[in-house]
Amino acid sequence: MNTVAPGILRPPIASRPTGAARVGVGGPVGSGKTALLENLIPRFLRRGTDLAIITNDIATREDAERVRRSGLIAPDRVLAVETGACPHSAIREDPTLNIQAADALDAKFPGLELILIESGGDNLASSFSLDLVDYWMFVIDVAGGDDIPRKRGLGVLSCDLLVINKIDLAPYVRVDLQRMIREANDVRGGRPVLLTNCATGEGVDAVVEHLAREVLFDAASSGMDALDRR
Amino acid sequence: MSDVGATLALLQLGDSFFPSGAASFSWGLETLRADGLLRGAADVEAFVGGQIARRWSQFDRPAVLAAFRAHGDIERLCTIDREIDAATLSREAREGARRIGIALLKVHDGLGTVGAAAYRDRIAAGEAFGQMAAVHGFVGHATGLDAASTCAMSAYQLGFSIVSAGLRIGLLGHVDAQRILQSQRERIAAIMTTDAVAADALHAYAPAAEIAMMRHETGQGRMFAN
Repeated sequence: MNTVAPGILRPPIASRPTGAARVGVGGPVGSGKTALLENLIPRFLRRGTDLAIITNDIATREDAERVRRSGLIAPDRVLAVETGACPHSAIREDPTLNIQAADALDAKFPGLELILIESGGDNLASSFSLDLVDYWMFVIDVAGGDDIPRKRGLGVLSCDLLVINKIDLAPYVRVDLQRMIREANDVRGGRPVLLTNCATGEGVDAVVEHLAREVLFDAASSGMDALDRR
Repeated sequence: MSDVGATLALLQLGDSFFPSGAASFSWGLETLRADGLLRGAADVEAFVGGQIARRWSQFDRPAVLAAFRAHGDIERLCTIDREIDAATLSREAREGARRIGIALLKVHDGLGTVGAAAYRDRIAAGEAFGQMAAVHGFVGHATGLDAASTCAMSAYQLGFSIVSAGLRIGLLGHVDAQRILQSQRERIAAIMTTDAVAADALHAYAPAAEIAMMRHETGQGRMFAN
């Protein structure tokens, strides 16, 4: 009989010794996370990265269906995780179902290199469990207000890469973009900040190059990415 | 394990903070609310009471006990696990309980709970499904809880899973949520004074919840996985 004695612990094992790199994409609702995904997918595929996507929806499977129907990536490489109205919990306090989804993708697609995990959208205090992701970005947008960086939200402060999206809208929403960039760099102590306009794809190449170098350890990736502190 | 140690273990393992993915499951409540059949705290209380009396008492509890009494025998655990899976009618209930059980096992594997890795290997090999009730029984035994505490943990987790779903979708407030959980204590304790049905006689009768979970599969605007 194969039995175990109760209460005896063996040494913990690494929870995930192998598999694709897992990158979180968080940020407030409407900041452009899904639009960024739609820009990242074709660029990573063009550079030959074996890719899959997980979306965490607040109320529907809208984001996953949007990505599946985009024609950018095979639909079976896109999984949706229902969050029980707690998107922040599903990527932080209890990321088990997201880990399960990522494990399933790893098992289904041998050779998978990168899984992008989009959060369901939450406030500025959201962050990713480091048991779930190897690296995470936080997407804010110009139209959300240029005071977001100086509010020092947990997402802005602690993410590995801050992306400021919709930079084209600055003149129309009375945002001082240069001040926003300066304050973002100040509160982040110089850690990376990149600018994008996902409506046109402006700035997205730099995000890809950054992730390729920092996450996929692609030595060939080069070029300026992090903004100079101004 | 000392009394305090056992109490602390029960508090940790039974806490909603212990990761299992349970927050993503409403066990039919989301659809019943959308249908207008659950409209407030009193309805949620009745729903939880029904789930405890008509599902947990005759299905989850004997399944948990059977898994606990397997004493880590992996072959026996796999058999119980498969029986639970076969006896669960609606797909979302069956798959939801698998997902929670698998998630719990992975966390326990990470914590070094003896037997969790072997159980996961059997699931990976297709010899078991990771059904939640079987995993609860396995975990209770493997971590040194007694059978009664393990069953109480199972009942409590079913209750708070439903109540917290009701709270998040606006059916009740935080005090109501705690009052409902409090109100179930006597019901659960009374059930636990009775003999559990045999493991091969598992049965549940909660048709509203079952039908709701079936309808949920094609529902729009889903926040929960069942």
